[in-house]
Amino acid sequence: MQTINKDYVNPVGKSVPKIDGKGIVTGQIKYVFDVNLPNMLVGKMLRSPHPHARILSIDTSKAEKLPGVKAIVTSKDTHLIKYGSNEYFFPHTVDQLPLEDEKVRYIGDEIGAVAAVDEETAEEALKLIDVKYELLPAVFDMEDAMKPGAPAIHEAMNNIAVILPVNFGNADRALKESDYIREDIFRTQAAAHSSMEPHVCIGQWENFSNKITLWSSSQAPFKCRESLAKCLKMDLNDVRVIKLAVGGGFGSKLEMLPMDFAACLLSQKAGGLPVKITYTREEEFSFSRRKHGMIYKLKSGVKKDGTLMVMTGEVIADGGAYCSYGPTVIAAAIMRTFMVYKIKNFRINGYRVYTNNPISGAIRGFGGVQSGFSVESHIDMLAKGIGMDPVEFRMKNATDPNMVTINKMYLSSNGLKECITKATEAADWKNKHGKMRNMSRGIGIGIAADVMGSKMYKSHESAGSIVKVEEDGSVYLFTGAADTGQGSNTALSQIAAHELGVSYSRIRCKSGDTEITPFDTGSFASRVTFISGNATKRAANDAKKQILSVVAEEFKAAIEDLDIIAEQVVNKKDNSVIMNFDKALDLCYSFNYGRQIIGRGSYNPKTTPVDFRTAEGNVSGSYGFEAQIAEVEVDRETGQVKIIKMWDAHDIGKAINPQAVIGQIEGSMAMGIGYTLYEDLKFKNGRVVNANFANYRLPKSLGTPPMETILIETIDPEGPFGAKGMGEASLLPTSAAIANAIEDAVGVRIKELPITPDKILKALKEKEEQERLKSPETPVSAARG
Amino acid sequence: MLLNPLTFYAPQSLQEATKLYASLSEARILAGGTFLLNSLKLLKRKGLKTPQNIISLRKVEELKGVKFAGDSLSIGSITVINDLFNSAHLTDNLAILRTVCRNISTNPIRNMATIGGNLTSRYTWTELGAPLIALEAMLNFVGPNGEQEQISVEEFFKNGAKATKILSHVSIRRDKTATVSYYRVKKMSDVDVPLLGVCIKTNFIGDRFSKTRVCINNTITFAQRDSVLEEFLEKSEASKNIPQEALEHLNTAIYDNRSDDYKKAMFRVAIKRALADLIGRKK
Amino acid sequence: MKMTLNINRKEHEVDIKGHETLLEVLRDQLGMTGTKTSCNESECGACTVIIGKKATLSCITLVANVAGEEVTTIEGLAKGEELHPVQQAFLDNGAAQCGFCIPGMIMSCTALLNNNPNPTQEEMEYALDGNICRCTGYLKIFEAIRDAGGRLSEMEAPKESTFYRHTPETVSSKS
Repeated sequence: MQTINKDYVNPVGKSVPKIDGKGIVTGQIKYVFDVNLPNMLVGKMLRSPHPHARILSIDTSKAEKLPGVKAIVTSKDTHLIKYGSNEYFFPHTVDQLPLEDEKVRYIGDEIGAVAAVDEETAEEALKLIDVKYELLPAVFDMEDAMKPGAPAIHEAMNNIAVILPVNFGNADRALKESDYIREDIFRTQAAAHSSMEPHVCIGQWENFSNKITLWSSSQAPFKCRESLAKCLKMDLNDVRVIKLAVGGGFGSKLEMLPMDFAACLLSQKAGGLPVKITYTREEEFSFSRRKHGMIYKLKSGVKKDGTLMVMTGEVIADGGAYCSYGPTVIAAAIMRTFMVYKIKNFRINGYRVYTNNPISGAIRGFGGVQSGFSVESHIDMLAKGIGMDPVEFRMKNATDPNMVTINKMYLSSNGLKECITKATEAADWKNKHGKMRNMSRGIGIGIAADVMGSKMYKSHESAGSIVKVEEDGSVYLFTGAADTGQGSNTALSQIAAHELGVSYSRIRCKSGDTEITPFDTGSFASRVTFISGNATKRAANDAKKQILSVVAEEFKAAIEDLDIIAEQVVNKKDNSVIMNFDKALDLCYSFNYGRQIIGRGSYNPKTTPVDFRTAEGNVSGSYGFEAQIAEVEVDRETGQVKIIKMWDAHDIGKAINPQAVIGQIEGSMAMGIGYTLYEDLKFKNGRVVNANFANYRLPKSLGTPPMETILIETIDPEGPFGAKGMGEASLLPTSAAIANAIEDAVGVRIKELPITPDKILKALKEKEEQERLKSPETPVSAARG
Repeated sequence: MLLNPLTFYAPQSLQEATKLYASLSEARILAGGTFLLNSLKLLKRKGLKTPQNIISLRKVEELKGVKFAGDSLSIGSITVINDLFNSAHLTDNLAILRTVCRNISTNPIRNMATIGGNLTSRYTWTELGAPLIALEAMLNFVGPNGEQEQISVEEFFKNGAKATKILSHVSIRRDKTATVSYYRVKKMSDVDVPLLGVCIKTNFIGDRFSKTRVCINNTITFAQRDSVLEEFLEKSEASKNIPQEALEHLNTAIYDNRSDDYKKAMFRVAIKRALADLIGRKK
Repeated sequence: MKMTLNINRKEHEVDIKGHETLLEVLRDQLGMTGTKTSCNESECGACTVIIGKKATLSCITLVANVAGEEVTTIEGLAKGEELHPVQQAFLDNGAAQCGFCIPGMIMSCTALLNNNPNPTQEEMEYALDGNICRCTGYLKIFEAIRDAGGRLSEMEAPKESTFYRHTPETVSSKS
């Protein structure tokens, strides 16, 4: 019999502790990083030292003879089938081989792998492999890569892997009708996910039964299974991908890396011994994925009354060597504006460009961070141009609930305006904005919206859940969703318990094992609470109905009259308690009934197909909204920025677990602060030059500002208990909120991230110079002198 | 394995340690290990040779602790940064060491890194360099036969002399009449690594500076003094304008050599702020 | 080389090499995988353990160097089924997300609170400045320290009227 924690009855909306929390705080929980299997071999990847070269030959004979080497694989051991991340919407962007065969396209490109008894031997073997290359000219700058005559990295014309021409309304006419027009160019940098657990996997190939098991620190085990099965020509049910606890992903673990294939192939060659491949921190920085650096060119027009008439421009993204999630990143970078602003005329062309830099891919925010900085900075300048308060400007143009955008997105629940109002009230915007420059202090706002339950990767984007109720009343939730630390196992367990009518303490959760849990596309696009949550709610409801049908049969009652509320089976007609939950389960599993309680649920968001050539269509089942404010102080002599405080108001539909929701928002803001002020993954001729935490700085405890979070519950009609997704949106407005606050504080506008002290000092100096030139009292010659 | 094979020695006394150090070839002293272990890992990753013999001083009790010997503070060479930070002896001119210690690297490093290691690792950034030169600190080395050698921190950095003896302790005279300030700039933000630091000590006589030492910490050179600025200050009265005026009297080479524009500017800000702070502390 | 390691108040006979780090021996030889490896170059704090009374990085500690010293790892905090107050506070305050930094973080917090049960905000920030957390943004960790500090003080000096303030539902929208 279980000990039932009564506090955890009706858990939705309560801040229950993480379901795996005890394992985490005691160090007992296992990450793939911690797993050691008997006779396990150490795998290492063979990488290209060149940014662009043709592979002439690979001679592994010397390495094979090295004692302790158990297997070496190259492209010859593969079927030369490519994998990619956007196979459904952008089939031509499927461009990476498990191990490259003819060409290498960036420093670190994987062309082989070694398995040996220990790391030293594996490394020694790598040195003994003789690879002959024919060097090719390389290109590292995205704009150079688009020029005619630039080295062709793939077959794409001018290295443009994806062109996204988004055009609605009549932009040219709207520009003519505008009272104020301005053009700005913004630049954003590459950044590293920096999950604390590096990429790691263990592959094991059961040679006789021809089955693969891959333990992988993955955000999307089913996506992993799909690519493995396709590239290795296996059936889906012969490939088992197991996700254990994941030490952070932030998008970097959303797709497979060649190491995942290599571990399996090496195991096959080594007679079925398990092979573990672990990234070092340096590899993590250099050879996993990174944020797309972007150039965002904007030209927009507004009316004097503050109506945003039109936005036009161009977005170029440095994609690096392969496409990865690039197509959806660039789509999302453009399409988010429609969710935020009621705009009728819009023309932006997006280009996702190949270069010989490391591969850009998905990262928390999916292009929204880059567009958030650019668009929200630009909006502030537009408001300033017509002398309007930036908050008022945003309120005037913000989207409303139950509206259809120009590209046919349907925004049902929408708390954007409430977010703006609540955030500005909390931050005391009226008394601060424009009034603190004498102290070099300023306040700035950014707003954002995000998809929360989208279909952007497959034809369907469904999730499945199973709720199994055991004889003793304990409940097992099986979900395909991949908890990567954000707490989806906890939120889904809360949903299951709430719907089933029992305490959260009854639930145990198994997630992300492709052999035993139902399908789920994975943890990305803030989709899990909404999509997997709906699937889980349905599964719990199904289980409840099964229990109630037994009770109804036994007591000759109508099943519609029965319910399980707070651990009791009740008759809703007279509110009488029939029996408690445990007794009901005794009955289900009794001599006469013996009825197994296995509830199932599946959910596919209600969307319309999106045509990514035009960006038209309702891409998501729900949309989340956000307003964020930063107060900063700038040291005019050092150019250093101190964040005084951050405020965040977030429409999340309904907070399933307020504490976890706030934790996501705070973590996003911290990440946003880092990206805005100092995080900068730097390259020199395609090589990452700051591949360590000493030179790639992350937010630390020192200087963490206070943050105030306001949760706006709009109760989405489609969401489980009204919940939408969250976890990414809070990162989108941060950079602009800070940039806008800096402008408010010292009057300079920085259009290039990260906003480092030297950029501020330079801008301050230029401003001083301009003011001196303008000033009628100072003769120009004297100022120059 | 992250390190190459090595022979580990753990002498129990200073005498044993000095004898080992003199007798073993290719020996490196292991104090806190925060510099040595990382550099051994790096050398191995790059496929370079690493020293065979490692002599750990961790068990040499006589090298630990902060105590007064007469009027002089004696800091044992393997005293860790946080123990110095927490020492009750840091008063008067020595109080500045609290500020300095707090800003060294990170907490676990401050728990491990030693005063001796910080000074002798010959790392490009040595936080204690400038403040200890300003405080006229002396380094005390001991050889295999107990022979002692004393050298000022300033000399030590100036000559870049490689120590063949073992550093036993750092001694600093307590000076109740001295005023000290230290201003440090990090590269980009609170979370970043240091860019530079300026430490200034003077013995105010009325409104006049005297026995002034201006010392600079830099990321690319060892700590050094600015004698041009020192001379200027010696001739000046401590007034509000001094921090600004001082910028006209710098030995510019030591600030501008291999510095980018931002760093050059920050050196001047640091000088200004350290001086303003110093003058503000004048009793 | 044979040596005795004192870990979590228990003696372990281990056969080590001079160039092995404490982290390698803990994880690979003793199977104590609670202590994490993340950067392996003293920048992230995931490998933090307590040696004596001090939070120490096991990735740059030669195991031979800690002979005779008391090592405490994350596995040594809970007493039987009962979580250590710092662990309980991390759990209750939502201070852990992915959890990979948490063992190191908890060791740093425990070392801090053992010396100082009521640290100021500044003292907390300095005590944790070597432990990187990519998930939480640190605020919930600060809350956990304040909470744990209170619990530890209560344990030391139990007061009759102490209100045990933390229930799992208590959550403030302000941080």
